Formats: sequence, structure tokens, C-alpha cells
Amino acid sequence: MIAPRFDELIHPGTRLSLVALLASADWAEFAFLREQLGLSDSALSKQLSTLEEAGYVSIDRPIRDRRRRVRARLTDTGRSAFEGHVAALRQIVGSADLERIAV
Amino acid sequence: MQSQITPQEARAALDTIDRGRRRVIDEIDLPRWYWWGLALGWIALGYITDLKHPWLTAAATLVFGAVHSAVAQRVASGRHRTHQLSVSRELTGARTARLVIGSVASLAIVTIAGALAASADGARHPVTIASVFVAVIIVLGGPQLLAWVRRRAAQAGAS
Repeated sequence: MIAPRFDELIHPGTRLSLVALLASADWAEFAFLREQLGLSDSALSKQLSTLEEAGYVSIDRPIRDRRRRVRARLTDTGRSAFEGHVAALRQIVGSADLERIAV
Repeated sequence: MQSQITPQEARAALDTIDRGRRRVIDEIDLPRWYWWGLALGWIALGYITDLKHPWLTAAATLVFGAVHSAVAQRVASGRHRTHQLSVSRELTGARTARLVIGSVASLAIVTIAGALAASADGARHPVTIASVFVAVIIVLGGPQLLAWVRRRAAQAGAS
């Protein structure tokens, strides 16, 4: 049972989309995230830095095909925060549905 | 903070999260080269079998099995279609790899049955004929199998 906990850091639209992608993956490369979210390099870097500073995301820089890649993954802290946030959103929607039924 | 967003906003946020999950589900697949490589290897193995040199057939089967095993270990989970993403194991489950390997094993039985039927019909290269038939199933049916896995993953998330 995951405790509902609204997370202000995750909730803003772009960051929510970013964390939602990472939550379904072990890791994702910068290029994949940029393409899926339609963000510029600088905008995505900024969002990732914010999440990394909070301890929600870790960034690896493996070398493949002689090129350095940037991979992002959710940390355990980030995954817990995301799951708590989803539970909080469901709680809000669920409460509203119950109120509507009661009226 | 919870009271600061409306149920409509919460619903919209959940939709955003669901879209993110579906985008990753869309990436569940095997590389196209896997199906083509498997199909061509199948035909080659069938052709070698029709040469009727038992030692050559045994060696080719061993090489085919070893190469397939090495490749399948890396790609059969459906989590690494590209180098850009590793889909979460929770999303695909362990069943994808089992499904792919099980399907390949089933096709071996289809090949044997097809070869026996072609042989009974007097064909000169019965195993090759059966292998070409199975290769077509692999190339056409493999991607369909993974499409089914993606639908299952999407349904599991929706339920």
C-alpha cells in the first residue's frame, strides 16, 4: 500500500511527463526523452538537473560507439515519490467521484 | 497542497502519466533484424538438413542454437528494441522472453510436421520447403506477437 503524497516537484506538466516516462523504464537516453517530450536540449537538461538535485534522478554517462551518452534513471527515492504522487492524484479523483455519487 | 488542485487537474495529470506509460509500452519490441535473422537461419538449417549429411546437420543445429541463445538472451525480453531505452521489467514481465522462445520451439515442431508432409508428397527438398514456410510465419508473425504483448501491457496498466 503506497501512502498518497502530493509532490510539488514532480507535478508541473513537463516534469510529470518526464518522470512518467522514466517510471516505466530502467533508464532512458537523453535523445529519447528529448524526442518524446519535444523539448530543447537546454530545457530537458534543466528539468533533469532539478530532479537530480532533489535526488529523484541519477544521470549516467556511458560510452557507446565511441560517443558519450547521457542516460537518466529514476532513483528509489524518485520512484517512491512518483508512486506517492500518483496515489495522491487518484485519491483526489476518487474523493471527487464519491462526493458526486453522494449528491 | 492536495486541496490546491481540482479533481479535473488531478485527472488531467493522471492522463499525462498514462500517456507516458503508453509511450514506453510502444517501445516494447524486438529488433526487426532478429526476425529476419531467425528466418534466414531457419531456411539455411533446413537446406543443410536436406543435404543429408548427419554430422553437418548436427553441427549446423548446434551453431544455430548457440547463436540464437546468445542473441535471444539479449533481445527476447522485448525491452531493448533500441539502444535509447530499457523498458522496465515490470512492464513486460518475464513472459515476453518465454513467449518468444516458446514460439520458436513450437515452430520447430511445425517445421518437422511440414517436412514429413512434403516428404510424403514426394518433394525433393522437404525440409527446405517446410523451413521457407516457417520463415514466412516468423517474419510476418513475429512482429504481431510483440504487438499482442504491447496490447496486454497497455491493458494491464489500464486495469
